[in-house]
Formats: sequence, structure tokens, C-alpha cells
Amino acid sequence: MGNTIYALYNDDHVVYEGAKKLVKKGVKIKDVFSPFPIHGIDPIIGVRKTRLAICAFIYGLTGMSLAILGMWYFMIEDWPMNIGGKPNYTLLQNLPAFVPVIFEITVLCTAHGMILTYFLRNETLPGMKAKNPDPRTTDDMFAVEIELDHQPLTEEELVAYLKETGAVEINKRY
Amino acid sequence: MHIVEAEIREPLILGHKSYNDITEDVCRPIESRANSLWYMLFGLASILALWGLGNILYTVGVGIGVWGLNKTVGWAWDITNFVWWVGIGHAGTLISAVLLLFRQRWRMAINRSAEAMTIFAVMMAALFPGIHMGRIWQAYWVLPLPNQFGSLWPNFNSPLLWDVFAISTYFSVSLGFWYVGLIPDFATVRDRATTKLYKVIFGTLSFGWSGSAKHWNRFEEISLVLAGLATPLVFSVHSIVSMDFATSVIPGWHTTIFPPYFVAGAIFSGFAMVLTLMIIMRKVFHFEDYLTMKHIEYMNIVVMLTGSMVGVAYLTELFISWYSGVEYEGYAFMNRATGPYSWAYWSMMTCNVISPQLFWFKKFRRNLVLTFILSIVVNIGMWFERFVIIVTSLHRDFLTSSWTMFHPTYVDIGVYFGTIGIFFVLFLLYARSFPVLALNELKTILRATGEHGVKGSKAHHDHKEGH
Amino acid sequence: MATNKTYWKGIEELEKNPNFVNNSKNEFSELLPVDEFLNKEEVKTEGTNRRDFLKFLGFSVTAATLAACEAPVTRSIPFLNKPDNLTPGIPNYFASTYYDGFDYASILVKTREGRPIFIDGNKNSTYTKGSANARINSSVLGLYDSKRAKGPAKKVKGSWAKNISWSEVINPITKDLKSVASRQGNIVILSNTIISPSSKEVVNNFIASYSALGAKVKHVTYDAISASGILDANNEVFGVRALPKYSFEKAKVIVSFGADFLGTWLDSVAYTKDYASTRKPENGWMSKHYQFESLLSLTGSNADVRGALKPSDLNNAVAYVYSKVSGDSVSASVPANVKAKLDKAIQDLSANKGSSLVVSGSNDKNIQVLVAAINNALNNYGSTLDLNQPVYTRQGNDAEFVALTKEMNGGKVDAILIIDSNPVYTSPASLKFTEGLAKVDLKVYFGDRLDETGILCDYLTPNHHYLESWNDFNPAKGIYSLQQPTIPKLFNTQQWQEVVSELAGQTINYAEFVEANFKATVLNSSSKADWNAALQVGNISNAISSSSVVANFGSALSTAKSKFKFQSGKFELELYTKVGLGNGNQALNPWLHELPDPISKMTYDNYVTMAASDAMEVLGVEDTSDNRRDYLYIGQDYPAKVVKLTVGDVSYELPLVAQPGQAKGTIGVALGYGRKGTELFTRKEWLGDLFDTENNNNNTIGKNVFSVANVSNTISNIVNSNVSVELVSGKSYPMATTQTHHTMMGRKLVNETTLSQYISQRGTAKEHGGYNEQLMILDSYGVPNKPNELDLWAEHPIELVHRWGLSIDLNSCIGCGACVTACHLENNVPAVGKDEVRRSREMHWMRIDRYYSSVKAEKDYHDLNGRQDYLDAEVSADEPTVAFQPVMCQHCNHAPCETVCPVAATTHSDEGLNQMTYNRCVGTRYCANNCPYKVRRFNWFQYDSLNIPAFPDFAKVNAAQDDLGRMVLNPDVVVRSRGVMEKCSMCVQRIQAGKLDAKKKGEKVQDGAIQTACSSACPTNAISFGDLNDPQHAINKEKEQERAYFLLEEVGAQPNVYYQTKVRHI
Repeated sequence: MGNTIYALYNDDHVVYEGAKKLVKKGVKIKDVFSPFPIHGIDPIIGVRKTRLAICAFIYGLTGMSLAILGMWYFMIEDWPMNIGGKPNYTLLQNLPAFVPVIFEITVLCTAHGMILTYFLRNETLPGMKAKNPDPRTTDDMFAVEIELDHQPLTEEELVAYLKETGAVEINKRY
Repeated sequence: MHIVEAEIREPLILGHKSYNDITEDVCRPIESRANSLWYMLFGLASILALWGLGNILYTVGVGIGVWGLNKTVGWAWDITNFVWWVGIGHAGTLISAVLLLFRQRWRMAINRSAEAMTIFAVMMAALFPGIHMGRIWQAYWVLPLPNQFGSLWPNFNSPLLWDVFAISTYFSVSLGFWYVGLIPDFATVRDRATTKLYKVIFGTLSFGWSGSAKHWNRFEEISLVLAGLATPLVFSVHSIVSMDFATSVIPGWHTTIFPPYFVAGAIFSGFAMVLTLMIIMRKVFHFEDYLTMKHIEYMNIVVMLTGSMVGVAYLTELFISWYSGVEYEGYAFMNRATGPYSWAYWSMMTCNVISPQLFWFKKFRRNLVLTFILSIVVNIGMWFERFVIIVTSLHRDFLTSSWTMFHPTYVDIGVYFGTIGIFFVLFLLYARSFPVLALNELKTILRATGEHGVKGSKAHHDHKEGH
Repeated sequence: MATNKTYWKGIEELEKNPNFVNNSKNEFSELLPVDEFLNKEEVKTEGTNRRDFLKFLGFSVTAATLAACEAPVTRSIPFLNKPDNLTPGIPNYFASTYYDGFDYASILVKTREGRPIFIDGNKNSTYTKGSANARINSSVLGLYDSKRAKGPAKKVKGSWAKNISWSEVINPITKDLKSVASRQGNIVILSNTIISPSSKEVVNNFIASYSALGAKVKHVTYDAISASGILDANNEVFGVRALPKYSFEKAKVIVSFGADFLGTWLDSVAYTKDYASTRKPENGWMSKHYQFESLLSLTGSNADVRGALKPSDLNNAVAYVYSKVSGDSVSASVPANVKAKLDKAIQDLSANKGSSLVVSGSNDKNIQVLVAAINNALNNYGSTLDLNQPVYTRQGNDAEFVALTKEMNGGKVDAILIIDSNPVYTSPASLKFTEGLAKVDLKVYFGDRLDETGILCDYLTPNHHYLESWNDFNPAKGIYSLQQPTIPKLFNTQQWQEVVSELAGQTINYAEFVEANFKATVLNSSSKADWNAALQVGNISNAISSSSVVANFGSALSTAKSKFKFQSGKFELELYTKVGLGNGNQALNPWLHELPDPISKMTYDNYVTMAASDAMEVLGVEDTSDNRRDYLYIGQDYPAKVVKLTVGDVSYELPLVAQPGQAKGTIGVALGYGRKGTELFTRKEWLGDLFDTENNNNNTIGKNVFSVANVSNTISNIVNSNVSVELVSGKSYPMATTQTHHTMMGRKLVNETTLSQYISQRGTAKEHGGYNEQLMILDSYGVPNKPNELDLWAEHPIELVHRWGLSIDLNSCIGCGACVTACHLENNVPAVGKDEVRRSREMHWMRIDRYYSSVKAEKDYHDLNGRQDYLDAEVSADEPTVAFQPVMCQHCNHAPCETVCPVAATTHSDEGLNQMTYNRCVGTRYCANNCPYKVRRFNWFQYDSLNIPAFPDFAKVNAAQDDLGRMVLNPDVVVRSRGVMEKCSMCVQRIQAGKLDAKKKGEKVQDGAIQTACSSACPTNAISFGDLNDPQHAINKEKEQERAYFLLEEVGAQPNVYYQTKVRHI
């Protein structure tokens, strides 16, 4: 298990086209490493759309309910005070004054919850090891990662074919 | 269709660049030694900063009395500076968030630094509500912590408390947004790093980013959603700041048009400050290819637009104060325009409303020197706007017996210029050690908006960029 | 006060018990109880094991911790045996009396733990009727003045020997006096008015005993602010050298010629209440008050009709009125602009014979004769003023004093005892008192310190402070009051009565002396009970034998008619006394310096006042309203111009203040300033270009102008020849004023009406067009609402328990400022010094706003169109009507300050109080900004301890920074820390005490049982406090009055403080 080859390209356009061809041939592409997002490549290599946004919504909801609960507890329930004649006996009447804070807390929770999820999901956290096969892939190179097992093509055919698609360099890792 | 676009639209990246060239250009300041100009600016800024810190310590040590405030004018330069800095802090997130939502590609050259500026500006802003407190050592009481005095909670009816939440949310979210965008670029620097130290530092900073398709997929998603969140945030923050005044009873503060008017003003001053910094950076780091006249022109247009909006707001205020027939309102504005502080009012008018009108002319919009001068003039004007709103409203309010004048002390002045120093110290340090342009984003638009597309690329037509 | 006390750990240390001394060197003076576990067997056998180590560890840690817990040594010393009826935390009240030769009042002294901390008027007095003024209630600070003489002192070869025993001064003095007597020399006792029978007795005994020894002894009475004119007049006309008893409450028409009878004239304390009782429109009538004067006095600012006249014209005016009232022909021409007013006054006077009153502030005998003649012609004697009950509070005899100074300069006086008097400071330079004093061999000074006079004497025999003294007083025939100590003497002082008796060879205990004397002459009983009863109420008034004095004008009148005229000069100088400082007795009391002058609102200075037009002339600027606004404005960074005032051959450099209402051609300068010792307060920032870098003694607060007073038949405060003023260009002087803007800008702040309107609009005043029209606001459904009842939400319940409120009658308020100092005193409000006041940072919790009508006075806001109108509205009229308005926290039910505080440091109580929680405050000052009334005060510094070169003032002016001065602080009120907001609490400490009282009695809080400091101090009862929820309380009637209105009602803050419309009788 784990025999992988990395085909390095030097042009995002070529990678895009190459990936298309490979997939047409039935080659399973494990991943593509690039210095910037190559638009439209995800569906080809079968990366599904992320569900981060849904988490965001959930975080937002939590934040808002927490905020409202807090307002109610702080101002109405736990320690009601007559502040400038404002109604301290019902949340509803006093709510307009709390809207700004509720909004801010909602945004706070959404944003930070999401960023955290993003890091965890990416497995990008301080001090983590980078997985890109070649340092140049964060500069101007584009790497296509293919596992050799269960591929329609043999290794030789595959390498040859990759060259065909415009790979400038092919590294194998056992 | 992008080829067509490339023909009719002015390129946003000049010169015949390859992806690698971009990397090289952006990483050069980080990897090479700073030039003398940088050291000069840095020295200047640090002197200012030290002076400011001294004054701040003096204030905290002796008491707020070292400022020029009095029984009638309880806020003056402190809150003026606060609002001024918050205003400036609006451009960054606005540029990277709103312009992202609108798919404005020209944002990409400036958003990184604009956001950095935002963060530093908001830091400076947050400083003032702190030191303006009589007892700063109790500042944590504004947080909803059950404290040693039993269950004492802050007062959520208070606009000042809304501020606390607005500013801290705005700051931390901007910071997160900014950092998420920085990670791939840190990775680039990491992978180029030749020294051990750089490898460690940027290895840590880049959180082990590998730039796999999944990463980019999520990256684009979070950028979009965060932009979606940051946009209302931007508007909320200055609206809430404006409520400090709008919800009060003081004639000249008690005004419903404040929220939109403050937001417009904030964008106005923010863009002006971005321009100031961009033009300096362009010179110091020779970024002429990335910060093109096109960028400057776009921003000048925004400045002109928001400047005019602010102007409309000023006139509306004047009209309503007369139209309302409320004696106190009427007098407050009469006093602004003709009273002892009219000099401040008219310098505000000149700087904020009249001067930006120059940008109706393309010639001026594309004139670097003029732009630079005006960008500073605008921020002077915006400082006066806040001064006028705060001081001229307070110094003559309801009971004529309490009318006074406000006279700043050298400490007021020192603290203010001190924060400018600290701001520039931070920004210059940032400029030396961070990728000041969004590498990965620039690369995505190189093909479409580069003067000669991508150097060494056989492909002659671009792929659909996300729509 | 030096605090080199030592504290003994125990009797052993005191006795220096040897082994205690040894042990005390060790860390633990006794062995620690570690044996019980160290002596255990296993310890001995096994040596120290782990568990023991832990034990030791645990023990040593605990021991160390306990050792660290030692409490710091505090300066409090417990009673060895507690005095009965002294319970810590419970105040005791003592009836006593204040008399300093200038003010007389029967007072009530509040003491806490044996410290006098508050002074109120004593309601049992039939003379002052519970009134007191700012000077009197601030006098308590003088007790804790650590600069008072700590003991007797004598001059040895030109330098003062202090810390000496009493015998060391009394013996040599007695010896010298004896020797003077033996050579038939002259001994003089110079004192200010003595109204104490016992003291008189003492003086007489002294005179008797030394006359017996052959000396020529006499007692000269000399008042700093002389009333000789009126005394001499009465002496000539009625044969009674005393003041008449004025009954302002009986006067329907009051005409005053420059007599400031509400501020500083004679017994103003007694007059204010009577006067105010005639100013209640609810009675259906009001006295009509005419004031003709040169300067704008407190009294003048309250007058219904006021005419401004130069002093010389004022005399003519008196003569004019005399001629018209009596029909006697006197040639007196009066300026046209006031003639009409005078004629109106004459008309009203003649219409109210027997119920009118004419008074004059002049110290000229002839004028006073004319005034007496006027009152006589109006049959006012016996009704509104009465010499059958003479008043003795002024007895000074200028003629005798003048004679004395001559004798002294002639070297005819061998010994002088100066008692409660400071002639070197107060006497006119022309009398050469100082020079004369140098020629006297023996000079003994009975003062409280080495002041101007004391320093020139040979001996200082320091007198008790009046709060440490025993005495009896007889202010008016048949009226007696007592003075008793409220604290043991703080320093090694002795009452002068005892010293004088001792000099006369008889040692007395003055307390017993007074008691005996009082029992004999006043009580006519020897029972201790009667004495105690008298002491408790502090007052006795005996029926007076109805002798009736007969007026015999004769020659006096004819001389008066021929001699009343003053020659008039281009400028005529009038020296006046300020409400704050009076005659300068208390010039070292920072509270009185910080109390703004009721009229000019200036603090910490005396200055040259002039009519605006004159001022512009002196400045050499064209006299337009714009120029007046620009050139005469005085504020934080707008210092006053300096002028050189030349009187004869003396000249002063003083700041110039334009005073609306002042007669053209008149110059006013206040007396009582420039006292020795005040230079310790000042610094360059206080005195600007007038700061003397060479000789700091010249850097006093203000300048002393007593020395230019005019000596004619009496010592007169009017100087009407060779007075000139010129601008000193290039010099400016910082002035500290609490009010930099003087007009109402057409706003309805002080609501005013006239008596006729008030009567005609009964029942309709609140309707449209009424003088007190009720403002209505449409709610969202278009229904009109009173702003005070309009509410977004369901209102908080206000009928819970109490609802405290104030009602302030702007018609009774005379603006005297007694409430301001009382509040200062009650609430430990810090004095902050001139430089901070200049920055508008005075800390007064309550202030009295003073408004002048402007040149646009007749206009209301809606007639102000455009810039010029507004600018003109800022300029005060030349002869303005004046309005006073006390403003303190309005305790709004919808308080704008409460909503904006981020930490909920200011909230609303169920009793309607706007509470300020100091220890929750973080000091954002948002509340102060959002307060429409600007009554919140911020602690810019740590006033009670900050003392750094940049801010040296607080250590000098703030009592809390002085070990002794701190004793004046009210223990019921916390001293606020730096960086917190503070404001009027409606004296919540008094409210709580009052509620507790009522609870203990098991009754509801009775009306008047609780008084705020301001309401109890108000001499005219303009401020009344009560429970708005309790119909029994008078305030509920007052709030229903048609005159009642809220300040800035339209803001919708819903205050708990009501104001009563001011009614003018015109």
C-alpha cells in the first residue's frame, strides 16, 4: 500500500486539462497540490463541496440563543435594577436595547466557531507538518497525487501518459 | 470571455510576470534587509510612540485631570481619537469583505495590508476607551463576569457597553479573517525558507498548510462566509459607535442620521488612510506593478463618493436642526457653524466635503502626489468632524450656566500623536515580516488581469473564474 | 500636625523591663509552643522523620502567615472610660452661639465622636430664628486649622519664643502692667464689639483693679466694618447708641440705600428670614423692595426695583426722599434715570406709613440721621424698626478709635491689650495705627495666631476657638444666648477672659463665671436645672421693660441737611464686603474662597468691578455689544485684564471685572482679602503676571484695601476723591469663575412672572398663555401628555415606600450660598484650589446659577433670529434683572445618566433617588456628559492625597490632606477616590438616619424630620425636602402650587426636584 507518484506541472491550465484526461482514462487522482485554487478542478478529481457553511449557521444560532439567554439572565432574572426607568421586569420590552450585543455575540460565535472548524478539518494547526510533496507547490508548481494501487493503468503506462498530459517532472514515493 | 475583458480593462498587474515572479516580488522585503527609507520611517515612528507611551503612563499614574477636560466637557480628544481610529479601521475589512462579495478583483493587491491597517487601527482605537477611564485598573468590570462583589453584571442598556462588544468582535473577527488568508502565503515563505529560523517561524505560522485541493476548496468557502459575516459587522461597528452619541439627550448628539453618516465617514477616512499607506509602501517596496494607478483611481472614486455622502449628512443635520424648531438643537448647530469652535467646523467642511470633489477629474484621481496629500487632508478633516461633534455639542448644552470652553493640554496632544507613532511602528514591522500582498489571490488573477497573462504559460485562454 | 506618638507593646516596654528588652531583640519574644510534638519519644529516638518534617513545615508556614497578619498601627485611640451619652456613630447636638464682631447667630453644633462637624442655625433663637450663613457654617473648619497658635508666645529680642508655659507670659505681662500703673501710665483694652455681659464684667474688673493701682485704663471698641455712623446718629437723635431692632417681616415697602441687608449689612443673618417671609405670593401680597445702590449687591439683585447711583448721588437720593417724605426742603438733585424710580418709591412709602422701612448702608452719621428722619416721618419707629429694643451687635466707636491712634502716635499709650481684633490689617493707613503701635511699650495680643497685628506685639496669648469656648451673649435687649464648648481645647490656648482676669490678679474659671453671672443677671435663679435648661436650648428671651425712646432731631438734622453731600469725583470707590469672606476673619478658610461670589461667581480673589461701559473706556475699546462680549469675557484661558487703581498716593494692581448693574463712574473692591497667611495657598499659576517672585509675602489671595478707607466723621468705606484707574497693558491675571456665561439665551430656565400676573392668573397659570404654561407632548397616538408622565414602557412602581423630592422656591432664594457651603461640609466635598476652579473643575454638588437679563432680555428664544441675535443675547444688560437658581442633582426618574453607565454604577432606588455607587464606578464620564443639568462632578485627581510638584494645590486647600483638618470630615460620607464620578445624593445618609429614627419611634417619617444639608442651611427656607408619597408632607402642597415647574421638563428626564416660579413685585 502507499506507492504514490507525484506528477509536477508548471501551469495551472495544463494541470486542469491533464486531470480531465486522466479521469477520462479512469485514473483515480488522490489529490492536487497547488499554490492557489485552481478553479473547477474539484468536481473533476471528485472533491465534494465542503459543508463549512452549515456549521457556520449552527454556530450562529447557538451564539444568538446564548446571547438572548444571557441578556435575560443578567438584566432581568439575576439582578434586575431600575436603570433610567427602563423596563427590568420583562425581556421583551427591554429587548431593543439588547439587539446590538446579541448581534455582535452571534457574529462572534459564528466567525470563530467556523475558523476553528476550518483549522481542525484542514488539520492545519500551529506546528503541524505540511503534507505537500514538493516545496515548489506553494510557489509555481502544481502536483497531481496518484496512488498506484487499483489503477486501470500500470505504472509505466501511467508515467508515460502523465508525460503526455504535460507533467514536467514525475516523482515516485514508496 | 476573459480575453476580451483583458483587452478592454486596464491590467491590475503590470509587467510580464510569472507566478514565481510574484512570489519573488512579495517575499523580497521579508527575505532581504530593509532599506534606509524604512529605517528612517521606523525611527521617526518609534520616537512618537515612546512619547505617547510616556504621556499615557503619566495619565494613568496621576489622573485624567492631566487632560484638558472639565465639568461640562467630559470627553474631548480621548473619544475623538477613539472614533477616528475606529473609523480608519473600517477600510480593511470593508475592502476584503465587501469587495470580495462583489468580486472586485482589484481588492486583491490591497486587502492584505488594508486588513493589517484595520487591525492596528482598531488596537489604537481600543486603547482610548481604556485610558479615558478614571480607574482603568477596573476596566474588566465592563465584561459580564460574576465578580467578587457578588453577581454584579454590566449594564446592557449602555451604548458604551455595546461598543465593548462591537469593537472586540470586530477586532477578533478581522484578525481571524486576516490570518486565514495569510496561512497559504506563510506556507509559500516557509517552503522558500533557506535558514532554519525562518523554517521554524513560518512553519509554525503556516499551520502546516499544504495547498491540497480540499484545503483550497474549504479556503474559498470560509473566505466567502467570513466576508458575508464581516460585511454586516463593518456596518454594525460604526453604527454602534455612533449610538454613543445618537442615544444620548445632548443637542447635537441626539440625532437619528448618525449611524449611516458615521459609517460613510468611516469608509471615507479608512480609504484615505489605506491610500496614505499604499502610496508609501508602493515607494518603499517598489510595488508599482501591483499597486497600479488603476487601484489608486478606484480608491479615489470611493473617497469622493463617501466624502460627498458625509457632506450630505452635514447639510441634513443643519437643515433638521432648523426645521425641528427645537431651541436647543437650533442653537447647537448655530453654535457649531458660528460659535467659538467654528474654525473647527469649517476646517472639517473644507477637508471632508470640498477637497474630495477634486476627484471628479480623472487627472486628479491619477495624480499620486495630490492623492497622497488629499488622503492626509481627509483624515485631518475626519478628526475635526469627531472633535466638532463631541466638543461643540458638550461645551454649550442645555443650562447656559454650565457652558465652558475646552482647552487641550500637552498630554492630550502627546497621547494622540503617540498612538499615531505606535500605529506606524506596528505597520512598518508588519511590512517587513509579512507577505504584504495576497500572493495566492494575486496568482489567481494574474492570468486574467496581468498585462501579458502568465509568463511561460502555453495556455492562451483563461478558465472560468468562480461565478 | 506632627505625629511622633509612640505606642508601647505593653507596660513592660514602658518600664524598660530588662528581660523584655532582651527578648524584644529576638524574632519571637517568647518561645514558640513547639515542644509538645518535639518532645515526643519517637522524635528523640528516630530523629526527624518525613512526617515531622511536614509538621515543622506546616507550622513554620502557618507561623509566618500569622506573623504577616499583624494589622498596621492606626492613629485611633480608644476611650479609657467612655463619656456617657456619647455613642460612636450617633451624633450629639449642642446649642451654642457664633459671634465674631461681624456675624451673630445662635447655632446648633453637630458633633460626632466628640468632633464638631456641622453647624446649623438654632431655631430656638427669637433673634436669628434658625438662620445661619455661609461664613458661619464654614467656620467649623477654622477649629481644625493646624496653623492656629499652639500655645502662648513672647517676643525675645525681635524673635518669637514659642512652646513656653502660660506663666512665662502672664508673669512678665503682669509685672509690666503693674509698673505702668505705678507710674500712672495709660492702659488700653482694644477689642471689637463685646456683647457678652460676662466678658464686659471681666473687662470692667480689669479696669477697676488697675485704676485702683493708679493707671489710666480705658476700653476702646473698634469694629473692622464700622457702624459708627448709624450708632452716632441714633445716639444724637434718640440718645441710644445702639442699632434699632429691624422687623423686615412687618414691612410692606422696603427702600434700601446701599444697605446689603441680605448679604453682609449688620445682622443680615437675622434679616434674611424676616425678609423672605414677606416674599410669599401665596399670601396674596408681597413686600415691594426698592434698592438704590452703587454696586450690584446680593440684596440689590433680589430687589423688585433697583436704581444704580454713584455714592455721591446716593446721598442726594436719601436727601431727596427725605425732603419729599417730610416736606422739609433740602436741595438735592438726583439723576434723571432714577428719579422716576425714587418718586415711585416715595409714593409707595407714603402710602404705607407705619409698615414701610428705609435703611441705608452708609456709615456717614448725617445720612443715617436723614434716614432716621425719613423713618420717623413715616411713623415706622415702633413697628418696622424699634429702638425700644436696641440691638448691641455693633458698638464700635470710630471717633474713640481715631483718638486712640492719635494718642498712640503721641506716645501717650504705655500698654495695650488687643482682643479679637486685627487693627493693623483693618485700620485705614491714614490713621497710622501701625506706627502708633510701635510706640507702645507693652503690646499683648489675644488672637488665634501671629497675624498682621499679632506679629507686631510683644506677647501672644492665644484665645480658644469659639467652638472650644464658654460665653454668654446679649445681642439685643432682653435676648440672651449661650456659647458652650463642643470639644476640649485642641491646643494650649486659654480664653482671653481668664487671662485678662488673671492679669487683674483674680484667677477665675470662666465657665463657672459665666454660669454664675448668667444665673444672677438673666435667669434670676440659682438652680442648676434652670441653667442646664438654658444651656440646652441655648437661648433665653426675657420680657423687656417698655421704655419708649423719644426722637429729638433738632440740631442733628440741621447739620445733616447741610453736610450730607459728598463731593463727587469722576470715579468713586466703594469698598464692599463679600458674602464669602465678610470682613476677612476667615480669610484662611479655603471653603469660603471656593464659594463663588453670589453675584460675580468669581472665586479666590478680590478685583476691581466697574460698569461695562467704564471698563470699555479703561480698556480703550469702542463700546459695542460685540466688543463687550469679546473683551470682557473671563474664562479658563481668557484671563482678566489688569488695571492700576490709584487712591490718593496708594495704588494697587488688580484684575478688572465688568459688573452689570453697577453704577457708571463707580469702582468696587472687596474688603477682607490680602490677609497674611493666604500667600501659603497661592503660586504663579494663581496670580499670573501679578506674582511677585522676590517677596512671597506679596502673593496673598487678593489685596487688602482696608487701608484706603476714608476717615471723615467716621471710618467710611466710600472714597470719592482722587481715585483713578488705568489699564496696565501687557499684564493679565487668571481668574477662577464657576460661571462663564451669564444670560439665559431666551430659554425658560428660571421661570418668572409679576405679582399682578400671578394674582390675575390664579387657576389659569398652567394653561396656554399662562406664566407657567404646562408643556404638552403628543404621544405616538397623538394624545397630549405631560412630559413627566409620557413613557415608552409600563412605569416603574413609584408608590412603594417613600419618594423623596425637593421643592425649591426661586422667589425665596436670595442666592446667598449658605446651602453650597453646607453641602460642602456635609458631604466631604473637596476644595480643589483656584487653578482647578479656573479649569471649571470645582466639585460643588450643588451650585447656584445666577442669570442676568441680556440686552435681548425681553425676547424669548423664538424671537432670536440669526447669528447676531444669538451673539447679542450673550451680552448682559447694563441694568439687568437678576435671577438665582440652585441646581443640584434632579434625581430624574428617567435619568439619562443611568442608562449610559456601562457598569451600572448609577441606578435608581425605589425611593426615587438617583444613586451613585462610587466603588462600582470606572470613570467613563459618560453619565456627566449625558446629564442635561450638568450636576455630576468627576474626581480628576486623588484630592485627599495627591501632592506632586505639578499639582501642589490639593495639599493646601483640601482639609482631608491635613492630619488635623481631616477631623472635619463627616464619617457618614465616604471620601471619594480618584477617577470616580460623584454628585448630590440628596443627603442619603441623613435620609437613612431619619428612617431609622422613625422606625425606632414606630411611626412614619414625619414632615421636616429629615432635612438635607441644603434645606436645613437655607436661611429663607427656599429649599424644602420631603416624601412625595406621604400626603402629610408639605412638599406635596408645594408641588401642586401653580408656580411649580420642572427644569428642562421637555427633555423628559422626569425629575424629582420641583422649582417654584419667581414672582417679581413690579
